Amino acid sequence: MNAPYFKFGYFGDEISLIVAFVIGIGFGFFLERAGFGSGRKLAAQFYLTDMTVFKVMFTAIVTAMVGLFWLSVFGIVDLSLVYVSQTYLVPQIVGGLILGVGFVIGGYCPGTSCVAAATGKYDGMIYLGGIVVGIFIFGEMFPLLENFYTSTAMGSVTLPELFGMSYGLLVFLVVLMALGGFAGAEWVEKKFSKGTSQ
Amino acid sequence: MTTLAKAASPEDIAAQPVVKADRKVQPYWNPYLAGVGLGLVLLAAFVIMGRGLGASGAFTSLVSVGVNAVAPEHAKFNAFFSEYLGDGTHHPLKEWLVFEVIGVLVGGFISGSLAHRIKGTVEKSPRISIRGRMMFAFVGGILMGFGAKLARGCTSGQALTGGALLGVGSWAFMLAVFAGGYAVAYFFRRQWT
Amino acid sequence: MKALFSKLSFNQKLAIVAGVLGFLAIFAGSPYTGNTATMNVKDLALLVEREADHVSVDELADWIIKGKADYRLIDLRSEKEFNEYHIPTAENIPVGSLTDAGLMRNEKIILYSEGGIHSAQAWFLLKANQYKAVYMVRDGLAEWKDRILFPSLAENASAEERVVFEKRKAISIFFGGSPQTGTGDTKATPQLAMPKLDMPASSAAPAGAAKKKKKEGC
Repeated sequence: MNAPYFKFGYFGDEISLIVAFVIGIGFGFFLERAGFGSGRKLAAQFYLTDMTVFKVMFTAIVTAMVGLFWLSVFGIVDLSLVYVSQTYLVPQIVGGLILGVGFVIGGYCPGTSCVAAATGKYDGMIYLGGIVVGIFIFGEMFPLLENFYTSTAMGSVTLPELFGMSYGLLVFLVVLMALGGFAGAEWVEKKFSKGTSQ
Repeated sequence: MTTLAKAASPEDIAAQPVVKADRKVQPYWNPYLAGVGLGLVLLAAFVIMGRGLGASGAFTSLVSVGVNAVAPEHAKFNAFFSEYLGDGTHHPLKEWLVFEVIGVLVGGFISGSLAHRIKGTVEKSPRISIRGRMMFAFVGGILMGFGAKLARGCTSGQALTGGALLGVGSWAFMLAVFAGGYAVAYFFRRQWT
Repeated sequence: MKALFSKLSFNQKLAIVAGVLGFLAIFAGSPYTGNTATMNVKDLALLVEREADHVSVDELADWIIKGKADYRLIDLRSEKEFNEYHIPTAENIPVGSLTDAGLMRNEKIILYSEGGIHSAQAWFLLKANQYKAVYMVRDGLAEWKDRILFPSLAENASAEERVVFEKRKAISIFFGGSPQTGTGDTKATPQLAMPKLDMPASSAAPAGAAKKKKKEGC
């Protein structure tokens, strides 16, 4: 059997929605297990008292990246059929900055706010309302933003292509960076959580 | 755990415990273990669907359907909404991401109930009022919604999925999120610390 | 070694596993299993502009008659259509299996389909996959029928045209076609009997409606 299964037509759109639901359950489950239903835990990332966001995110990235790499090398997954989103460099950087600010002010990101709302956090529910309004504002402003939104298009380019490195080497560098980052995160946590809030 | 204990302090009178208070709240998992779990879910999405996870896209479908219900002409002529409304071959809410986000809600609830963490409360520092926190949550949500659409994805769709696929835009986005967060964290410290 | 490993914390074990898998990744080669290609866009664009990628049906007919065998002629249509009629010496390879059909990257490959679109798409596919000498038959099998199998001569043709037609007639007969005089109506050709086999009733229409590209991002 070739993967990605959906792209090879092993099942249709209807089944894919059930798959979506099941994968969503897994996603929500692990987000909650990590403590991402709590805005304080998430926001603590930006006050260096709790680096869980960084640790979980990069562990997940490394797991999926390494897993996908090896599955592709062994010919189980056709990597060229996995959808890589398009790069529009400047709008994505600006969007990221706005999103980062929203993260600190609101305490969640869209996925985690769902988990927060599902576990009874009233601020998470309000936050979801804010997201809806924010998207509505963006949609209404879209005619004005369209030029900027589609500027600096680079296609679906990946880091190995950008740096002219082999995919495997880049995987190794990301793993190395993550491991270094984890060691750093443990150290930072120890240092900053002493004096402050807890 | 300590944060939860604090959040449940008597100041949050609005908090209505859903489960019995005497149930012991379990600690969160080792972040690396939870991360591996999350990574495997993402990997499953790659292998089964050939795509990653997301969240904000589902809300865009929702907003588009809402706008379409109130002002169909307006939605039709807006390139952004009309893209999410599709070509009419299927209902715009019959989207992969919409079902995935419903799953996220269910999955979060399952995990929360197993760990006795379902609790009506407001996440905040004792230094800020509930009303203030709610206002901030709303404003933060607006910024998040706007930023996520400008960046073509949020932390799940861009940072996590695109990060694992080594997308250039996704990594630039990820760095920008942390940069934006750390740049303003100081000004909002009363809310959290 | 084993005892040492078991002494490590869970986090350290995870880190070691990640580190080892990451390190080995350097030597594992490309994860793209030959399904993606890179191309020199400028190079291709110039080729297209110079029309250096075309072979006319006259040239092709000439080569076949002369028994030139330095090329491989590929019929991209379905097996059924191929069995009904194909240009002599052609072999049948559908577009989907083109890159694993054992074509050599350094041999001369000539593609044809019913019209020109499929062969142009296949041409691009092969070019992007570093096949060096890929050509397509200009206007495909339709043109082959018009000019080679069923050449026609208008009633009011000039003397010069008549001379050319006599040459065409010979070629046509060589390939088992039937030259037409007097009609000048190319639309009449589908009713003509194909050499040996019946004329295909219709050209293959690309199956499947144009599906809207799905949003897959967040």
